[in-house]
Amino acid sequence: MQNFKALLERSVAPNVVLALLMAFPVAKAQTAPSQSGAQKEHKSAPAPKHDISGTWDPGDNGIGQLGARAVPEDGDPAHRLPYTPAGLEALKLNKPSNSVRAVLPAETNDPVVTCDPQGMPREDLYEMRTTQIIQMPEKIFVLYTFGKVWRVIWTDGRELPKDPEPRWFGYSVGKWVDDYTLVVQTAGLDERSWIDRAGRPHSDALHVEERFHRVDRDHLELIVTLDDPKMYTKSWTALDKLRFDLQPPNFDVREMLCSPSELAEYNKLIGTPASEKSKK
Amino acid sequence: MRFLGPEILAAVLLFSPFACPQAAPPQSAAPNAQTTTPTRYAPVDYDGWGKPIKPSAATERAAPAPRHDISGTWDPGNGPDDGGQFLGAKTLPVDGKPGHEPPYTPLGLETYLQTKPSNGARMVAPTDTNDPEIICNPQGFPRENLFQLRTTQIVQTPVSVIILYEFDRIWRVIWTDGRELPKDPEPRWFGYSVGKWVDDYTLVVESSGMDDRAWLDHAGRPQSADLRVEERFHRVDHDHLEWTVLIDDPKMYTKPWLAMDKFPMKLQPADFDVREMICSPSDYTEYNQLVGSPASDPTKERK
Repeated sequence: MQNFKALLERSVAPNVVLALLMAFPVAKAQTAPSQSGAQKEHKSAPAPKHDISGTWDPGDNGIGQLGARAVPEDGDPAHRLPYTPAGLEALKLNKPSNSVRAVLPAETNDPVVTCDPQGMPREDLYEMRTTQIIQMPEKIFVLYTFGKVWRVIWTDGRELPKDPEPRWFGYSVGKWVDDYTLVVQTAGLDERSWIDRAGRPHSDALHVEERFHRVDRDHLELIVTLDDPKMYTKSWTALDKLRFDLQPPNFDVREMLCSPSELAEYNKLIGTPASEKSKK
Repeated sequence: MRFLGPEILAAVLLFSPFACPQAAPPQSAAPNAQTTTPTRYAPVDYDGWGKPIKPSAATERAAPAPRHDISGTWDPGNGPDDGGQFLGAKTLPVDGKPGHEPPYTPLGLETYLQTKPSNGARMVAPTDTNDPEIICNPQGFPRENLFQLRTTQIVQTPVSVIILYEFDRIWRVIWTDGRELPKDPEPRWFGYSVGKWVDDYTLVVESSGMDDRAWLDHAGRPQSADLRVEERFHRVDHDHLEWTVLIDDPKMYTKPWLAMDKFPMKLQPADFDVREMICSPSDYTEYNQLVGSPASDPTKERK
């Protein structure tokens, strides 16, 4: 218990800040000077071929507090998704802590809030921050800030496995469709994850397509399209050309890790209503 | 009737490491690989994609080590469970044998005795542990080396070495661009790491700024904010790497001690897909409901 006592004695401000960082959109907090906050237009160079490697910063545009950025859960009818009856039923079971369907912080059943893995595609659609992409001859690694997780995309020509054991991050294969665009297919996803912060559901039939497009030397665009015939009557775009700016290679990414101990602390101090009606 | 003894003996010697029972490939009803429960994994003969792992012949000679290069997909050399370290740091497992405790200061020993690990000679029941990792707090560093060390991918860029761990799918960066460790930084679970080559085949890495809420290893050895860790990655030859971890924390230990001593890693082919191992509180809650909570515990709901 000594560690916990020390935690209480220590100023809890940093821990609360971290919890709040996760709960609310945050202004650019990177300590390193960065052009991306201002989205300065500077002269770039032509895109290298077959190369999306680098340290890529989307600014605040990848946070996705209201859900998938292309279709936020904000009450706008244009952003309503084409649910099947099963999809609607599954949606009702998810109680997000943001968006128009939000519940109180201590009442949410958002798996990520209690530190379950984000999985795919949510790792792209929520708290998408500075992302490092490293290319090897047979595969591409994507290193995310949120959760410090890495993901592999196989580019050696293999096919997606048939009927695999589901993984939170599924199985991904990619190939170049032209000199500047990598298309990635992901399947075999664990259905316990949410698609996004707004609690859109998915089944094990979900298929994710990402398109990474190298616009020029300093810019990358990401499009994410989802196809899940069990939950949605047609495929839909979750992220429509999220833009990333290239950072220098010596950019050190801040640590963002979910910690159940910190969450318990946050709920004790802030999240749980005084009436304690929503004790989990 | 020829005496077949020598042939049989040779066959057994050559193939016995691979005579372990074939684990089911991931496509079948294998145990959920995402569970965090402290159970041992069966020897695996397939990678994460369901591809059979080619055993290497016992007589295979490795090519010479490349210079300034520790990149690759590395598996624990003495078997996939060799880095499990359920009893604590590899060199000092808590197994009741003498000489297996680090040199504690009084504060170190006091802190250690307050931990309630879920394995080893001091273990408690699964639901009584106060191991932060069990409820899926980040392992942090150096515990990420000292518990469930499995297939580890190392990537080199011109300015950094990046380690991609199997457990929790965590990546960690070591800066090799000549920068110094920050003075008095905000602590991070994984601290801050810088590295440099001390000869053609050895990378030495210094780390500091670690969070003292983490346990050093699975046995509950403590660490303070003053902890400094030195790792040595030594490329022995083309197919072999040795990983050494030195713990230096004057608040908790009277002198530095080795937690891993030339732990062997063996190169896998580049197309090796690493299995997914991620701590999930949902999995853990379900485990406790079904298995972990004592039947006598009235506070735990049982399905």
